[in-house]
Amino acid sequence: MKLRRASSVAGLEPASNSLLLAGGTEVVPLLRAGILEAEELIDVRGVVPRGISGPSIGAGTTLAEIESSPDVPDALREACRLAASPQLRNTGTLAGNLLQSTRCWYWRLNWPCRLHGGDACFARDGEHREHAVLANDYCASAHPSDVAAALLALGATVQTDRRSLPLAELYRVPSEDDRRSTTLEHGELLLSVELPPAGRSVYLKAMERKRWAFPLVGVAAARSGDTARVALAGVAPVPWLLGPAGLEAATPLPGNAYKLEIATALVKRALAQLDG
Amino acid sequence: MARLIRTEKEIEGRYEEVWIVVEEDVLEQWPPGPLNVVGRPAPRGDGLQRARGEAIYTADLRLNGMLHAAVLRSPHAHARVTRIDLAPALAVPGVHAAIGPGETEVLAGECGFEGAPIAAVCADTLEQARAGVAAIDVEFELLEPILDSDEAVVRGSLLGEPRVRQRGDVERGLAEADVVLSAEFRTSVVLHNSFETHQAIVQWVGDTVEVHISTQFIWGVRDEVAKGLSLPPDKVRVICNYMGGGFGSKNSPDDYTFIAAELAKRTGRPVKCALTRREEHLAAGNRNATIQRLTVGAKEDGTLTALRGEYVNAVGWGGWSSPTEGPMHLLYSCPNVASTTYPAKLNQPPMKAFRAPGFVEGTFGLEALLDELAAKIGLDPLELRRRNHAEQDPSDDRPFSGKNLVECYRRAEPHWERRHEVRARSTDVVKRGVGMASQIWYGGGGPPSYAWVRVGSDGRATVVTAMQDIGTGTKTAMAQIAAEELRIPLEHVTVSAGDSARGPYASISAGSSTTPSMGPAVRAAAADARRQIEEIAEQRGDPDMPLGEVVALLEDAQVLGKGARGPNPTGMQVLTFGVQVAEVAVDVETGEIWVERVAAVHDVGRVINPLGASSQIEGGIIQGIGHTLSEERLHDPSSGAILTTSFESYRLPTIADVPEIVSELVDVPDPNLTNLGSKGLGEPPIVPTAAAIANAIRDATGAEVRRLPITREEMLRALREAEQRQRESERSEAPARV
Repeated sequence: MKLRRASSVAGLEPASNSLLLAGGTEVVPLLRAGILEAEELIDVRGVVPRGISGPSIGAGTTLAEIESSPDVPDALREACRLAASPQLRNTGTLAGNLLQSTRCWYWRLNWPCRLHGGDACFARDGEHREHAVLANDYCASAHPSDVAAALLALGATVQTDRRSLPLAELYRVPSEDDRRSTTLEHGELLLSVELPPAGRSVYLKAMERKRWAFPLVGVAAARSGDTARVALAGVAPVPWLLGPAGLEAATPLPGNAYKLEIATALVKRALAQLDG
Repeated sequence: MARLIRTEKEIEGRYEEVWIVVEEDVLEQWPPGPLNVVGRPAPRGDGLQRARGEAIYTADLRLNGMLHAAVLRSPHAHARVTRIDLAPALAVPGVHAAIGPGETEVLAGECGFEGAPIAAVCADTLEQARAGVAAIDVEFELLEPILDSDEAVVRGSLLGEPRVRQRGDVERGLAEADVVLSAEFRTSVVLHNSFETHQAIVQWVGDTVEVHISTQFIWGVRDEVAKGLSLPPDKVRVICNYMGGGFGSKNSPDDYTFIAAELAKRTGRPVKCALTRREEHLAAGNRNATIQRLTVGAKEDGTLTALRGEYVNAVGWGGWSSPTEGPMHLLYSCPNVASTTYPAKLNQPPMKAFRAPGFVEGTFGLEALLDELAAKIGLDPLELRRRNHAEQDPSDDRPFSGKNLVECYRRAEPHWERRHEVRARSTDVVKRGVGMASQIWYGGGGPPSYAWVRVGSDGRATVVTAMQDIGTGTKTAMAQIAAEELRIPLEHVTVSAGDSARGPYASISAGSSTTPSMGPAVRAAAADARRQIEEIAEQRGDPDMPLGEVVALLEDAQVLGKGARGPNPTGMQVLTFGVQVAEVAVDVETGEIWVERVAAVHDVGRVINPLGASSQIEGGIIQGIGHTLSEERLHDPSSGAILTTSFESYRLPTIADVPEIVSELVDVPDPNLTNLGSKGLGEPPIVPTAAAIANAIRDATGAEVRRLPITREEMLRALREAEQRQRESERSEAPARV
């Protein structure tokens, strides 16, 4: 495996067997596990913007940098602070966090599940206590990004080297004809996240230990004018923007209905904190 | 003088009757309380080396010409190898040798659990060895796995006969009871997760085998390797200078040592076989899951009349059936007790001893049920324990060698009294409460164990014994004992340990036995040296001559003392005791639990090093909190494959999960136990933690948690069940109010 340092976005020219690498906290373990394969790693740290400039956050900014910035909305700062461990937050980037894969144990152990191109969701009939309660009939994986839920509630847009799109459109629920959970094309580079003017915002997280765990349920809420937007982590294969139906649309599995109870309580609490 | 005796030998609650040669323990115990060195806090002698990375662990060792081994392990919970071809592995560059099923006894084609070792490859580098393993051509026939412990019992898939223990007449006891309660408790599989993974380096030096190994029992490894390789034991040398944790999982040489030995023999090179973290999650042992169906009967005043338990130990494919029923038989003075313990054989990785095996699990069930009883009859939980205190071993009426549990209860009172103030800090959403649980466990150690003490003309002493310090600070404690007996400063004592070729036989470091086994031998050896020094002083005509002046006469001569661990007191039960009081907060909407404070009071006889002792208590409680709240090994319910094979999915507590810990020790020498009166403390602190937390949760919320770990799911289930119970009782009481 080769490692190449990119010096410009134009010079990336990723081959089909290239992988982009920034913090490496997700890509390296997946390479080790044999889930990702690559002949070439392209270190993009030199070309992806890093730092916070007004409403624009460079995609290469580390979670630790966002967490310690006074200029970001509370929901985003709190989502960063409650993610991972200090060591991981010092290394992991905003883009890496948004683009991380599910923590579904079957997927991580490389079982031939639907996301890996197979024809079964092992979690649905198996151990799924930490899995999705929404949009889970094809694949019950839960999206683990605290940060994505916060940005979704904040109404963020994403700038890539090819286009600008609302964060919600970065994600897609995997389906039979397309197993991917993002809409990024191969080699497309996430450059920055743009935040609209924000009112009050909050992020609440339930996990199975006090720190360094992915969300069982994460709830972000942000005020935008007269309305409040609520988004959840850990409850669906993608970060989940709560629609008018609320959690009524949920389809919990036999072993994870408790997550709905937590989600209901945290949504209520988050909205109360927006008002409080 | 040496004496041949027949005695009971106990390790981790397992007894054997053995003939044993012991030496009389002729020394009087020291007076109670802190002495010059013993009983005073001493920082670890090798703490700096460890912190600086200068301590060389087995994992750090690189021997000249050393090859690395990797192991092909079963990917299936139950399968049979139908065809295996090692030739492609031998073709991988750098590979020196490959062995398959039957080529050493630890490799087999019958795979009873995911992770069962099938074949092994050694190569110049670890990467090459792994490539070799990946190249092995292997086919399996899949077999049906048995994964459910109750089903295993019904189908007769057992690892031995069920263990039946009883005293009195339980049916009569239940008939006499005013209150009878039954409940089912479950505990899950948790892992040792030693910092240093299981590993050994084996090399043949002439006709001797040298084994560098991360182990809790140098001498056990020596004997088992000698037996496995058909060698005289003295042709096996076992070395373990520094050790990165074992918790009961490193008592034996295990597959990796025999794999390294066979590959070393075939290649003529040293071979290292080290488990990866993933292998550690599969094949390094575990605390098995249990099911506990318990019944208690009591009088209205709380006097226990009957205890009954049906226990299922989900042992796995191998291992042994730990004494989950032990606390029920030992903790309380109840006249009628009966239990049956089934050892379920499952297609799951074998259990191994894990820090008070059985008693951690059994104490959770028993002490949680006792608290439910206290609530039912409206009695203070601490008072309930006091009323049923056992003055002698309730299972056979033997006197205890020393027991200060009542004193532990007394010293726990200020912590227990905090419950009123703690509860008062509850809000509508966050409820607070306090719970307690008693601790009972072994920890008396026993013979044989030996030590030598060497004093030179500089007045410094070296303790020589082939024991291991598994990270508990044993070497420091032994230096303290020698310094005390020789009346020299602690800094003037060195401890030489960790090598079977350099020193006499020493105890296993399991069953909280190292200090109570080794300590008396070290003291006897130091006393032997001191006696000789006093004899020299008398010959000089000055019996009061200070040690330094006497030994200054020695020049190159040395004073050599030897000491042996004497017998345990005949006809007495030697146990450790304690109580823990936990304070928790529970978010009743989200099921989040905060353990805010744990106070621990334990009775382990004389304390040698209060600093090391408080570390042990803190470590035990933190590990207990992990088992209680976040740690659980999960498997796929249909295939039996293990799903949690990393620290990401298997959740050890982090420092953010650690509460305020207050540790106290009664610190009274056991008057009947050895020349020290000391027992072990490695295991006692983890025993009551889960039960104390569960009882605090009940105090805070009324919810009866019945399963470890207490995940959000279990907490919310118990909360909803408690609400339902509350509603039903309000409904049934309603007419009376009208």
